[in-house]
Amino acid sequence: MTLPADLLAKIDEAISHYPVSKRSASLPLLHLWQEHYGFVSDAAVSWIAAKLELQPINVLELVTFYPMFRREPAGKTHIRVCRTLSCQMAGSYQLRDALAKSAGIDIATWNAHMQGHAHGDQGHEHSPAKLTGHAVHNPGHGNPVAVSPDGQYSIEFVECLASCGSAPVAMVDDMFVENIKIQDAAALWKTSASQATRTRSTPPHPREHRLIFKNIDKAGRGNDIETYLSEGGYDDLKKALQTAPEALLDEVKKSGLRGRGGAGFPCGAKWSFIKRGGPKPTYLVCNADESEPGTFKDRYIIHQDPHQLIEGMIISCFTVGASLAYLYIRGEFPEGAVILEKALAEARAKGFLGKNILGSGFDLELYIHRGAGAYICGEETGLIESLEGKRPYPRIKPPYFPAVLGLYQCPTIVNNVETLCHVKHIVHMGGEEYAKIGRPNNTGTRILCVSGDVQRPGYYEVAVGTVTLGELINDICGGMKPGRTFKGVIPGGSSAKVLRAGETFKIKDKEVALEDLPMDFDSLAAAGSMAGSGGVIVMDDSRNMVEILNNINEFYAHESCGQCTPCREGAQWMKKITDRIVAGGGVAEDPATLKNVADNIAGKTICAFGEACSWPTQSFLAKFKEEFAAKSTKALPPPMPPEYTRDELVAHDSIQAVPAPRGNGHEIMAPAATR
Amino acid sequence: MSTEVQLLNVQIDGVWLQFPKGTKVIDACQQAGKFIPRYCYHPKLSVPGNCRMCLIEMGMPKMTPDRKPVLGPDGKPEIGWIPRPQISCAQDVAEGMGVRTDSPMVKECRQGVMEFLLINHPLDCPICDQAGECRLQEFSVEYGNAESRFLERKVKKPKNVELGPRVTLDAERCVLCSRCIRFMKEVAHDDVLGFVDRGGFSTIACHPEKTLESNYSLNTVDICPVGALTSTDFRFKMRVWFLKETKSIDVNDGLGCNILIGSREGHIYRITPRENNDVNGNWIPDSHRLNFKYLQDGTRLLHPSVGSQQTTWPEAIAAAHSQLKTAGKLAMVVSARLTNEELYLAKRLASALNITLHDILPRVGEPDGILIPADRNPNTAGARLLGTTTETPGAHLKDILTGVRNGTITGILSLGEDLLECGFTHDDLAKLKTLVATSILPNATTAAAHVVLPGAAFAEKRGSIININGRLQRLNKALEPAGQCRDDWEILGDLLSAAGQSHALHSIEDVFRSMSQDVPAFEGLNLGKIGDLGLQLLTKPEAAKPLATA
Repeated sequence: MTLPADLLAKIDEAISHYPVSKRSASLPLLHLWQEHYGFVSDAAVSWIAAKLELQPINVLELVTFYPMFRREPAGKTHIRVCRTLSCQMAGSYQLRDALAKSAGIDIATWNAHMQGHAHGDQGHEHSPAKLTGHAVHNPGHGNPVAVSPDGQYSIEFVECLASCGSAPVAMVDDMFVENIKIQDAAALWKTSASQATRTRSTPPHPREHRLIFKNIDKAGRGNDIETYLSEGGYDDLKKALQTAPEALLDEVKKSGLRGRGGAGFPCGAKWSFIKRGGPKPTYLVCNADESEPGTFKDRYIIHQDPHQLIEGMIISCFTVGASLAYLYIRGEFPEGAVILEKALAEARAKGFLGKNILGSGFDLELYIHRGAGAYICGEETGLIESLEGKRPYPRIKPPYFPAVLGLYQCPTIVNNVETLCHVKHIVHMGGEEYAKIGRPNNTGTRILCVSGDVQRPGYYEVAVGTVTLGELINDICGGMKPGRTFKGVIPGGSSAKVLRAGETFKIKDKEVALEDLPMDFDSLAAAGSMAGSGGVIVMDDSRNMVEILNNINEFYAHESCGQCTPCREGAQWMKKITDRIVAGGGVAEDPATLKNVADNIAGKTICAFGEACSWPTQSFLAKFKEEFAAKSTKALPPPMPPEYTRDELVAHDSIQAVPAPRGNGHEIMAPAATR
Repeated sequence: MSTEVQLLNVQIDGVWLQFPKGTKVIDACQQAGKFIPRYCYHPKLSVPGNCRMCLIEMGMPKMTPDRKPVLGPDGKPEIGWIPRPQISCAQDVAEGMGVRTDSPMVKECRQGVMEFLLINHPLDCPICDQAGECRLQEFSVEYGNAESRFLERKVKKPKNVELGPRVTLDAERCVLCSRCIRFMKEVAHDDVLGFVDRGGFSTIACHPEKTLESNYSLNTVDICPVGALTSTDFRFKMRVWFLKETKSIDVNDGLGCNILIGSREGHIYRITPRENNDVNGNWIPDSHRLNFKYLQDGTRLLHPSVGSQQTTWPEAIAAAHSQLKTAGKLAMVVSARLTNEELYLAKRLASALNITLHDILPRVGEPDGILIPADRNPNTAGARLLGTTTETPGAHLKDILTGVRNGTITGILSLGEDLLECGFTHDDLAKLKTLVATSILPNATTAAAHVVLPGAAFAEKRGSIININGRLQRLNKALEPAGQCRDDWEILGDLLSAAGQSHALHSIEDVFRSMSQDVPAFEGLNLGKIGDLGLQLLTKPEAAKPLATA
C-alpha cells in the first residue's frame, strides 16, 4: 500500500529515534498510523511489521495489548471518559450515560457489554457486543468503543486519566477536559479548547513548600524556554556540567532523595549500582507513565514546566553517564507529548542537548516515547520491554535488574518525573541543604495529590512529613463536604492499603491516631500502608466500601498484563466476586474467599502489581469487615447439579440442589444447607 | 586451563548437597529427588518465570559484618531465609544457599497457583487428548482442591483452532506458559506464535496471515504441558495410557533422532522425540515423526513370492538361492537404511556368492540448519564401516548399471532398494536373468524380481545403526513384523545357510557377537551395552566423510 509522503517522513523520523533497535519504533508507528487513518487496520499491522523487519505477530501482540489502539474506526469525535475511582466518585458513570444518551448510543446494551452479559452465559465474555449502530470493539480486555448510529460520535470508558483532583475528567479527541458537570455532557461533543495547561487561580496553601511546583499555576506564564531561562533555568545544568559526575552523585546521596514513583527507593543508591566505564552504554529513562489512580502530579510538570524536567534529566544523564535517554510518557497525555517535543526542540536549539553540550564534551540525545494506555508500563521493567517494542511484560528479577540488564540488556536507570526534577534542585542548593527540607530519611518536598470527598481536592507540595494526614485533609483541603464525616483514606495511590477513620497505630511505642500520622514514607509504612505515589483518596460516610473496592478491583483486573498466573487469574477473580456482591449475589463465603485469593497473589508474582492489586482487597476486607458481611449473606450454592449462572445467584435468594437422581443409597451430594 | 567444575554446597530440605556451578535451583532440587512442579520452565528454552508453580523458599548464608558466613552448631552456615517465596527456575545455585521445597509456605503457593490455573479451565479431561500426560492433572493430585470455589462465569476463548496443518489449539485449556512461543522463536527460528489480548483474556495466537507450518511444529505439542496444543494427527485416536512406549531411533536421516514409538496391539499411533542431548536434544522434525503410516496402510509386501506367486519362506529361500547360484555374474545393491547387523550379513553373503561389486544408494538433501542433515540415509557410516560401500558411497552404482547394460552382469541381489532410484530403467530390470529383492513396500524392483523376500520395518526389529557423527544407536522392536514379513537378518542368515555357509546365528545377539569378532570397531560390545542413548563408536570425522553426489 502507498502511504502519503508526510506520513512516511514522520515514520522515518520516528525510527531514527531508536538507533539501537528498530523494533522500539513499533508503538510510535502505531500511533502515527492511528492518528492518520483513525484506526490500526490488519494491513497496518503487516505494513509496520515489514517496515520494522518484524513478524506480523510481533505487532499484533502490541495492538491487542494496548487499549489506546483501535482496530476499527471510532466516531468523528471520540470521547474517553475516565472510569476509575475518583472519577466514579464524582459521577463518571452518570457522565458516560449522559454522553451516550446525547449521542444516541444505547446505554442498556452498552452496560450489558461492560458487564460481560452481552452474549449470556454461552457467549464469549470478551467478544464484541452488537451495540446500536455499528459496533466497534477492541476484542478481549479492551474498552469497547460505542459509536453513535450516524458515526459522528463515539465513547470509550477508560481507566485513570490522572487528573483525580478535578474529577470527573475526559478526553475529547486529544483535548483534556476536567470538572465536567453531568448536565453539560451534551456540550462536551463541541469542545474546542483543551484545559490541559489551564492555570488555577487559587494560590498555594500557606503550609505548602513549593519547589517542584514553583512555576505551576502562575497565570500568564508560558511553558517556553525563554520564560524558563529568564527565571534562571538551565543555570543548574551549567553548574552540573562543571562538576565531576562522582561529586554530583555524592550530592544526590547526601540529599537523601527517595524515588517518588511509589517504592521510595533511595535515588543515590540506585544510581550507584551503575558501573561506570563498562563495555556497555548506560541509558536513562524517565518514567512519565503516571497512572496510579489518585496520582496527578507529573501532568502539571509536563504541561506547565517541561524544561524543569528536561534540565533534571540532562543533569541526571550526565551524573550516571548516559548519552541516550528516553522520556516514556503515557499515551493519555498526547498534549503533554507535543509540549515536550517542542521543549526538546528548544533545548536542542540552545545547545542543551546534542553533541558536546555547552562545550563540556558531554553528548546526550533525549527522545519522547509515548505509551498507549497500559498501567503496567509504569513498572520499570515493563516500561523497558514496552520501550523495546514488546508487550510490557515485567521481567524477572533476578536476573533482569535494570541497573545491570535494562534497556537493550544494558545498564539502565529508570526514574519518576518528580524524582528527576528534584535532582535539579539538589544541584541548585546542594545535597546537605536539600536534606534539611522534610524529616530525616524522608527528605525534600512531596507533591500530595488529594482527591475524593474533600472540599478542596488538588495537589499540594509540602516538605515531606511536615503535615499530618489530619492537617492535610482538614486544614489544607478544607475538610469533608457539608454534613459528611470522614470514613477512610487511601494514602498513596489506589494500591496503597486503606486506612479507616478512628484507627490508631503503634509507631515507635507511641500510639498515633490516623489524623496525627505524618505524611512521610516511614510513618505511612509503619501504619501498614505506604506513601506510594502521593495519591491521597478520601472517602466520606456516603461511600459504600464494597463498591469502592469493586471499582479498584476492576481497574487492576483491566490492567493486569496477564503474564504470570496469580495476577492474571486472581485480579479478574477478585473483580468478579466484588462485582457479584455489589449486584446482590454475595454469599457468606465471599469475604473469606476474597481474602484468600488476595493472599494467594501478593508476594507470588513477577512484579509488584501482585501487591498492588491485592492490597486493596486485603485492607478493605480487614478494615470494613461489616460492610462486606452485610452484602455477603446468601447461602453457598451447591456444587453441580444444577448448573447455575452468576445472574441466577444474584436474582435468587438461594440455589437449590436437584435431588439425587436415584434416591437412597446413591446420594451424590448433600444439600448445601447441611454441608 | 582447569576443566574442573566448581562444586557448590546447597542445603535442600535440610540436607547439604553439592552441585556444579551453573546448575539451576529447580534442576538441583530434581537431582536431589525433590521434583518441583513447573509449567513454563523448560531446560532447552529461555526462562520467563511466568507460571509461578515452582515457587520455593530460598535463603542465603547469614553473614557477619566482615562478610564471613555465620556457622551453626553443626559447623554448616546458618541460613537467612528470604520471607517471600522465590521461583526456582530463574536462579542458579550459590554457595551456602538454602532451599525448602516442602514447607507449608511452598505448599500454599502451589495450591494457590493450581487453583488459579483451574478456575477458568474447562475441566474437560474426559475428552482431552492430554489426559494421562497432563501436568494440570498430575499436579492436581498433589495440590488441587476437590471442590471449586469459583462461582463466576469462566472466560471463553477460541477452541478447535487449526494453528497450522498439524497443530490444533484449545485456548481455554492453555495456561499461557509461552513454551510454544519460545520454542518457535528460539529453536525453530520461525516466530509465528504470540500472545494477543491481555490480562485474563490473553490467548496464544498465530497471525492470520501466517500459519504454524514449520517442520518442527509438533514439538510445541510435546512441550505443551496441558491439552492446549494437540497433534491433529493423533487427536482422538487413542488414550495415551494405553500406549506401549518403545525407545527407538528415527531412520529418516543420518542423525537418528531418538524416539518413543507409541503403539497398541500391533498398531503405531504416534512417534514422539526422546531426549538425547548428544543427538537431537528434545526435538524431532514433523516429517520424520509422521513417517510411519506406510507400515500399516495396507500397501506392505506381506508374503514371500516367487515369480509373483505367494509362497512359503523355505520355498522362497530355496528359489532365491538357486536363482543366485545360477545367475552368472552377480552384483549387490544394499540399502544404507539397513542395520549394522544386516549390513554385516549382507557382506558375508556377498563373499559366499562371490559378489565383488556392491554399493549403497546415497540419499542427499539440503540440510535444514536445525536437525536434518544432508545425508538422508540413517546408516551410511555403518555401510562404510562394514564394507558394503566405499569411501565414496554410490560410486559403484554406475559400474553395476554399465555391467547390466553391456551384459557382463546378469544378476542382482537388491537388499531394500528400488533399482529405479539407482538409475535403472524398467528395460534394465527386464534384462536381468536373476533379480532377488528384499523390501518392505512394493516397487518396480519387487515387481520385476524373480524372488521377493519381504522384510521388517524399523519399528518391527532390533539392531544398531551409526549416525553421521559416529554414534552407535539401537533400534528396538515395538511391533511384530506385519503378515509373514521377517527380520532381514533372518532372511540373510537363511540365504547364507542355503549358500552352504555354516553359522550359528540364532538371534540378533548372535549376529552382533559375530560382527564384533570380525569388525574391530565393535569389539567388546553388544546390543545391551549400546544403551538407550547410544554410544560414541567412531570419531566424528571418520563418520562424516562427504557423500558422493552421484
